[in-house]
Amino acid sequence: MTSAPSPTAGPITVAVIGNPNTGKSTLFTALTGIHSRIGNYPGVTVEKKIAKFQFNDREIRLVDLPGTYSLSPRSLDEMVSVEVLLGRQAEVGKIDVVVCIADASNLERNLYLTSQILDLGLPTVLVLNMWDVAVSRGVTIEAEALSKKLGIRVVPCEAHRHRQIDDVKRAILSAAGQSVISPPRVFPPEFYEEGLRLQSILKGWGDPDVPFYVAERMLLDVGGQVETSFTARFPAQLPDELNCARERLKANGFRVPSAEAKARYAWVRETLTGVLTTPAERPATRSDRLDQWLTHRTWGLLAFAFIMFAVFQSISTFASPLMSYCEMGQQAVGEFVGSWMAPGPFRSLVVDGVIAGVGGILIFLPQICFLFLFIALLEDCGYMARAAFLMDKLMTKVGLSGKSFVPLMSSFACAIPGIMATRTIENRRDRMVTILVAPLMSCSARFPVYTLMIVAFIPNIKWLSGWISLHGILFFGMTFLGAAIAIPIAWLFKKTLFRGETPPFVMELPGYKWPSPHIVLNRVYDRARAFVARAGTLIFATSILIWAASYFPADHSRQYQIEDQIDQMRATVQSELSQQAELEAAQKALPESDAAERTVLDQKLADLQPRLEPLNKLIEEKNAISEHLLETSYLGRVGKTIEPVVKPLGWDWRIGVGVLASFPAREVIVSTLGTIYSLGGDVDESHTGLHHALQNSKWQDGRPVYTIPVALSIMVFFALCAQCVSTLMVIRRETNSWKWSLFTFAYMTALAYIGALATFQIGTWITAV
Amino acid sequence: MLVVPLEMMSTGEQGRVCNLDGSPELVVRLEEMGLREGASVRMVRSGSPCILAINDHRLSLRFDDCATVLVEVTR
Repeated sequence: MTSAPSPTAGPITVAVIGNPNTGKSTLFTALTGIHSRIGNYPGVTVEKKIAKFQFNDREIRLVDLPGTYSLSPRSLDEMVSVEVLLGRQAEVGKIDVVVCIADASNLERNLYLTSQILDLGLPTVLVLNMWDVAVSRGVTIEAEALSKKLGIRVVPCEAHRHRQIDDVKRAILSAAGQSVISPPRVFPPEFYEEGLRLQSILKGWGDPDVPFYVAERMLLDVGGQVETSFTARFPAQLPDELNCARERLKANGFRVPSAEAKARYAWVRETLTGVLTTPAERPATRSDRLDQWLTHRTWGLLAFAFIMFAVFQSISTFASPLMSYCEMGQQAVGEFVGSWMAPGPFRSLVVDGVIAGVGGILIFLPQICFLFLFIALLEDCGYMARAAFLMDKLMTKVGLSGKSFVPLMSSFACAIPGIMATRTIENRRDRMVTILVAPLMSCSARFPVYTLMIVAFIPNIKWLSGWISLHGILFFGMTFLGAAIAIPIAWLFKKTLFRGETPPFVMELPGYKWPSPHIVLNRVYDRARAFVARAGTLIFATSILIWAASYFPADHSRQYQIEDQIDQMRATVQSELSQQAELEAAQKALPESDAAERTVLDQKLADLQPRLEPLNKLIEEKNAISEHLLETSYLGRVGKTIEPVVKPLGWDWRIGVGVLASFPAREVIVSTLGTIYSLGGDVDESHTGLHHALQNSKWQDGRPVYTIPVALSIMVFFALCAQCVSTLMVIRRETNSWKWSLFTFAYMTALAYIGALATFQIGTWITAV
Repeated sequence: MLVVPLEMMSTGEQGRVCNLDGSPELVVRLEEMGLREGASVRMVRSGSPCILAINDHRLSLRFDDCATVLVEVTR
């Protein structure tokens, strides 16, 4: 027999909210598993994270809200949480249950937020997370008694150990059966009278569904987001009404805004009497002992420098072998596809455009994964906040605060999340300066450029049995070049465009913990996916455009004819070719001292030459034709036009075109060079890599194009330039004006040109000496 | 009993916050984060910015001229 579904059997929508660093994401994943849908709320940069799970045949929809200390919105971003909780966010809908997560060892402060949540009147579950930590510190909480006092379900939990997760689920389910709760009255009765008065006034003005909580916040938050957005709707009437209401409250001894904290903490204290016992003495924790060293003015800074160096050294050590596998894979695909298609425009598009272009950028995926892995690790273990603390001293010197450090540090991965993270900076001038210098931090898109140049042109000298290498040091240096330049630039901006006092600095230092592999890997996966998606869209499109510009308008029929002949010739001299390859391999394996054997091999190779001669002639002719075709193509013409501008930097027209084409995204330079050299015939059959093509690239008089000063000049240019459309768009969105995007582009391009010029000229001078 | 501005506490000293004064926006933010009248605090690392322990959480703070927090030093 089947029972009829009860009318309440639809999905339950649950909002999860709590203070920062209470283990909210850990609880979220413990409840729902790994699969969650991530998006953005319209018009703001708050991440919308929703996941579903089944419990006792009920579907539960979990909505994650950003960590916060209070529910008094000061910005549009903070307003999102309030709107979601009030059921006024169309994409989420009505909230059935609120799960408020609190750190059990810091209950007093966490209950401040809880008391605001209770004011919403929604069925609520209070999760006391990190219960084991509280117990180990001698804190005892009578959960039952607390539950009775608050009138809501209270569940002790250890989310990081996956303990009591089912208790949380059961509590959600039983809370969902409840309709509403009556909020505790933390304020004097006069306040509630004023609140109701304001609510009815707002209803009269044409907002019939305005909740009491909105009126409450409007009264309490002077200049807060609720007041701002409603004043915009009722500019004539609201300011007067609010002022009068606040004056009346003041006459009754209730001073806005200072009264709220007093009233709520008084309520917290009363609630916790007989519920919470804390040890008289709070002993130093493991975090404190670590902080003795890690936040020390000298040792802490040394440790910071060491950690940063170790991160970049290990990225270059671990990622390089993986990268060469990826490169081998890319070449194999190119050769395989090439061998199955007849010469013609279509083969050229696939092999030279798509595989050399998009594939050329995808091989950098391992490096980007490693970079994000380290950043996620540092963030999740709690070290990032210490770095901000240490850097505050330095940041105040340029007129910023330690708050600007975390956005700038995240910009080392990518300027886009970095610029979005500046929303935590309350001071507008500081926020603007941070946004404008954030793109100077060396983002992951610069990595492919540095890697290509360093691996191809800089000898890898190693010291201390391989622990320190020249490549590692150069990576480190290039990565911090932008940051070093950002210091005087930020100082200059703060002195000229955004003059003002150094803002105060308030930041919580979370306890150290072992990073959660789940959260860290998830973050790496998200970023890697974004990188691949970018390669598949923006870079794919640019690659095809670049290919077309460098393929047309020339007549390629003679080139294909020769390619066909080469293919046929290759078939006839197959055995000689493989013999040659074998001999060359044997020669390579030969020890330096074995001169006799070397002569024998050289002789054998020379004997093969007469039969290979016609093939080599054809290849040479093909290369000459390709070269000519490329130079007369649209791209070649543009390149020749701009050559005088880039020549002082030591660049030839190919590099100039590559830089022009990489306007949408820095890493495009790699794919553009891949396409240009592949079409130009420089990527020959036995050495298909771009490295090799660059090393062999020559000026017309036979000098190599790429010398060490040229490689450095390219790297410096990309370290300082603003070649990233997405960053410029984010700056436009965050500053609400194209003016600042243009300004960023202009000042960074000027900086990059001057930097590259100085590098090349000084580098050439040093090599000459 | 000795009342001093928070910045004047030396490492290891403990006390009770007896007054917060300054720009309302910053004061409200401090209160939300647990630094409120009546909170017992311990200076973990003095200086600018300093590290302060309130119960079991640690705040790093530098107010400059935006706020004055007076603390009754208990020991």
